[in-house]
Amino acid sequence: MAAITLKNIIKSYDKTQVVKGIDLAIEDGEFVVLVGPSGCGKSTTLRMIAGLEQPTSGDIIIGDRVVNDIEPQNRNIAMVFQNYALYPHKSVKENIVFALRRLKVDNDEIERRLSEISEMLQLEELLDRKPADLSGGQRQRVAMGRAIIREADVFLFDEPLSNLDSKLRSHMRTEIGKIHNKFGRTSVYVTHDQVEAMTLADKVVVLHDGYIAQYGTPMEIYLNPTNIFVAQFIGSPSMNIIEGTLFNDYLDIDGHHLPREKLSNVAYQETISDSGLKVKVGIRPDFFNDKAFFSETDLTFNFNNVVIDLIEPMGFDKEVLFNLAGGSVKARLDLRSDITLGVKIDLLVDLSRVLIFDPETEQRL
Amino acid sequence: MTPLERAEAKFGWKLVAPTILILGLLILYPLMYNVYLSFFDVQLNGYKTFVGLENYIKLLTNTDYYSAIGTTSLYLLGTVVGTTLLGLAMALLLKDPFKGRGLVNAAIMLPYVAPVISVVFGWQFLFDPISGVVNYLFVDVLGIWSERTNLIGNPDSALWVVVLFDIWKHAPIAYLLILSKLVSVSRDQYEAAAIDGYGPIGRFFHVTLPELYFVLATVVLLRLIWNLNRFEDVYLLAPNVQTLPIFTYYQAFTGVIDQGLAAATSVIQLAVLSVFIWFYIKKIMKW
Ligand SMILES: Nc1ncnc2c1ncn2[C@@H]1O[C@H](COP(=O)(O)OP(=O)(O)O)[C@@H](O)[C@H]1O
Ligand SMILES: [Mg+2]
Repeated sequence: MAAITLKNIIKSYDKTQVVKGIDLAIEDGEFVVLVGPSGCGKSTTLRMIAGLEQPTSGDIIIGDRVVNDIEPQNRNIAMVFQNYALYPHKSVKENIVFALRRLKVDNDEIERRLSEISEMLQLEELLDRKPADLSGGQRQRVAMGRAIIREADVFLFDEPLSNLDSKLRSHMRTEIGKIHNKFGRTSVYVTHDQVEAMTLADKVVVLHDGYIAQYGTPMEIYLNPTNIFVAQFIGSPSMNIIEGTLFNDYLDIDGHHLPREKLSNVAYQETISDSGLKVKVGIRPDFFNDKAFFSETDLTFNFNNVVIDLIEPMGFDKEVLFNLAGGSVKARLDLRSDITLGVKIDLLVDLSRVLIFDPETEQRL
Repeated sequence: MTPLERAEAKFGWKLVAPTILILGLLILYPLMYNVYLSFFDVQLNGYKTFVGLENYIKLLTNTDYYSAIGTTSLYLLGTVVGTTLLGLAMALLLKDPFKGRGLVNAAIMLPYVAPVISVVFGWQFLFDPISGVVNYLFVDVLGIWSERTNLIGNPDSALWVVVLFDIWKHAPIAYLLILSKLVSVSRDQYEAAAIDGYGPIGRFFHVTLPELYFVLATVVLLRLIWNLNRFEDVYLLAPNVQTLPIFTYYQAFTGVIDQGLAAATSVIQLAVLSVFIWFYIKKIMKW
C-alpha cells in the first residue's frame, strides 16, 4: 500500500529532454492512467517509477521513501511489460511464482496463491508449459499472474494489452478492472488507447511531448479539457475545432449566433472590442442531435439547414459530416436519423457543452 | 514433425548428401584401416602379421597407458574449466558497448589466431629457468619462490604450464562464442527479474546462465574434443607431458616402432569419445 509522488521529474537522453518536468501525486489505491501519443514519454515515466531508469533530476517518492537511489528489486513493485518479458526457460508456474521464491514465501502459501490466481486468470491447464508454447493472450495472462501474485505495493502496466486483438483486449481490460477492484493496489497504467484510459482510470494523466497536458478524472478530462490537445486526444471521434468569433453578447460561428449567456462552460469575462475576438470553438460530435428526435430548449442552439456531405453508419449510431466556417464538422447522430447525402437537416447543440480556446496558446478561455 | 519441417528435413538431406558421401569416404577409410591395423603386428617394411587382441592386451597392461590417461584427464579438466570460465568472465566484463571495444576484441583474439609454433617458443622463453620472466618475477621480485625452477623440465609442473598455455590460447574462442550469445539476451528479462526482486547475482543465475546453457555446453564439448586429440601445442611446448596423443605418437613413431599398438590406442580413444559425445549431446544438450 503506497502513494506515489513525482516531484519535478526530468529525464534527458544525451542532450534531449524526453520528460520535461512532471509533478504528480497519486493517492494510495488509486488507478492512474498515463495516456498520450506514441513517444510522449509515458514508458520513460513509468520506468522511472519502477527504477529501470534514473531520473535526470527530481524526486520519486513511493510510500514514505524517496526511491531515487533504490534499485528496482528493492522497491516492492510489480510490473506488466508490453511484450510480457516472460522467462523462456521457466514453466508458466515458475514464471508466476518466481518473485515469491525470492521472498522465501513458504510452499503451502505459494501453492495457495498460485491456485487462486491461476483460477482467476484461467491458467490452470497451462502451468507446466513453457512461454513459447502459449498464444499471445495466454502469455499476457501469465504476465498478469506474475505481477499480481506478489501483492506488491504498486502495480505498473506498460501498454499490457496493445499486442492483443481487439476482442481479447476489451475482455482483458475488464479483467484488469476487476483485479484492481479486488486488490485495490496503487496502479499506474500506460496506454496510448484513450478507451482504456477512460474505462479503467480513477484519474487520467494526459501526457504531451514530455509535459502533463492535463490531470483529472476521466469525466473532467472528457467534459472540461483545458487545451485543444487534450480536447482532441480524448474522445472518439475527436472534438471538432471550428473557427469562431466571440462578441460581448454572442459567439459567431459562420453567421450562427450562439447566445453568450447560455454558454455556461465559457469562462472568459473580459470586455471585447466591437471587432470581436477570434477563437477556436470546440464541440464534440456527441453533443449534436438531430432536431427531428430532440426538442429544442433554451439551452440548445439550432444549426439549421446544414447540408450533409458524408454519412458513416457505425451500427448503433451514425457519423455525419457537414461544412461549417470553412471546415468539416462531424456529428454523431443516433440510428433513428434517416438522412441521405445532400439533404438539409437541423442540428441541435447543447450550449453548455460548447468550449472556446485561444487560437494562439490553444488553452481554454 | 509438421509437414513443413518434414519437407525442410528432406531438402536438407538432399543438400548435404554429396558432402556426407565424400567426407564418409575420407574419414571412414582411414578409420576402418586404423581398426584393421589394431589387430596386426606391423613391421617397418610394411609386413603385417595378425595378432588378434594382443595389441589391446599389451596396452591395457601397460602402466604408462594409465598414467597417460591420468595426465589427459588433468589436462582436459584444467583446460576445459579454465577456458570456459575465463571466456565467460571476459564476455561478462566486456558485454556492454564501450569506446575502443573493437580494438580490445582484436587484442583478445590475438593468441587464438597466432601460429602455435611462434608463440610456443615465446612461452618456453618465459619459463626459462635462467633468463625467463616468470622465474625473475617469482624469485627476484616477489620472492615467493626461494630458488629458480625449470617448470617445463619437470613433467609434473610442465603439465600445468601446458594447461595454462592452452587456456591462454583458447579462451578467446570461448569468449567469442559466449559473447555472441550474451549480447542477444533481451534486456527485458533482466528488468523483469529485477522487478521480481532479484539482484545482480540472482539475475545471473536465473537469466544469464539459462540463456547461456546451450552455448556453454557447446564450448565445453568442443574443447573436450579438440583437447582430447590435441597434439602440437603439448608436443612443441613440453614433450615430456604424456597425454594420450603424445603417448600414441611415441608408440607409433619413436623407439620400438609399434603402429599396431598405436592403432589400438586410437581405437579405444575413438570408442570412448564417441560414446561420450553421444551421451553428452543426448543428455546435456538435449538434442
Ligand atoms: N534509451 C533511450 N535512449 C534515447 N532515447 C530514448 C530512450 N528511451 C526512449 N527514448 C526516447 O524518449 C522518447 C519517449 O519515449 P517513451 O517514453 O518510450 O515514449 P512512449 O510514450 O511511447 O512510451 C521517445 O522519443 C524515445 O525515442
Ligand atoms: Mg511506450
